Amino acid sequence: MSRVLNVLLTHQPVAQMDRMLAWWRDYCPPENVLIVFNGDEKLLAQLDHPHKTLVDDPRLRTVKHPRERQSYTGVWRVVSRWLEGRDYTHVHFAEYDQLPVTPGFNERQLTYLEEERADVLAFQLQRVDGTSQPHYLYHAALPGFFKHWESFSVRHDRRVVLSMFGSGSFWKRGAFDVTAARTEPFPIYLELYLPTTAHHLGYRLRDWGDQNRHINSLGDFVDQIEHARRDGAWTLHPVKTLWNQPLPTR
Amino acid sequence: MERFKMVLRTLVVRAARALGSPVVDQRTGRVLGRALIVSFRGKVHLIGLEAAVRPVFLPQERLTYWKQEMGFTTHPAPDFPHEPRP
Repeated sequence: MSRVLNVLLTHQPVAQMDRMLAWWRDYCPPENVLIVFNGDEKLLAQLDHPHKTLVDDPRLRTVKHPRERQSYTGVWRVVSRWLEGRDYTHVHFAEYDQLPVTPGFNERQLTYLEEERADVLAFQLQRVDGTSQPHYLYHAALPGFFKHWESFSVRHDRRVVLSMFGSGSFWKRGAFDVTAARTEPFPIYLELYLPTTAHHLGYRLRDWGDQNRHINSLGDFVDQIEHARRDGAWTLHPVKTLWNQPLPTR
Repeated sequence: MERFKMVLRTLVVRAARALGSPVVDQRTGRVLGRALIVSFRGKVHLIGLEAAVRPVFLPQERLTYWKQEMGFTTHPAPDFPHEPRP
């Protein structure tokens, strides 16, 4: 029996988190939602939700994320530790501004993962080694970048570098825990680090295909929720201001 | 100053796409976008292209010693198998 933990990473005030949880409760049981809060412990204590934890990682608090090589490794580690002794089989990670828009989205994710025989589903997944992809080129200049993957890879081709969009991803529990247990040798941007690490550990990653249409890097799609739902979206990104006001009646 | 640089960059990229050539994926034939391709000091500068491309020398039906052609291609979508660790 599969059980998905939805991990929501947020730094928002308590009122916004309350509204975000109210939204998520319409789409999955509250016991399947873990709030990972990047902020003050006292604020988190005010949040009325059973599953919550704090992440305190300076590498998460970047401003220019790719340039400063933002990391989710600390988040992965905190969640993996929280999962110890719990029976969740899959982890769906989402930033605070990525929200579900279709009931049963976790079941759809599980079905797609099964169809693709994948261990990880990622948005905008692509192979970027040897290409003009800016994040790849920025890291290829780092001494030790290629040696790092070669040091633990189980793959025949140890120079493969993968990239994904970081706002959301879906993991089998084993792939999540093993990736979380690795240590970054030096700062590597999360959009390269997470998929490339999982790949070289032997896990199969697949792109989310048609769902990519609903995942954007810029803008605020707060007025597009109904349209995205009708258009077949399971989740939508970015919706940044929905939690700033009382939720619309659904 | 930062805002001025961003505006300037946007204008340069727009001009590069307007004046540049279409970039075709030599593997699939798909048009990947437009870019200005400039050679300067022994390096090729690709300006304005959004796709992640790899440079490739193209096969030639005629044997020419004086000219070779370069194009661009992309990796296929990742489809690696699950490989259990030893």
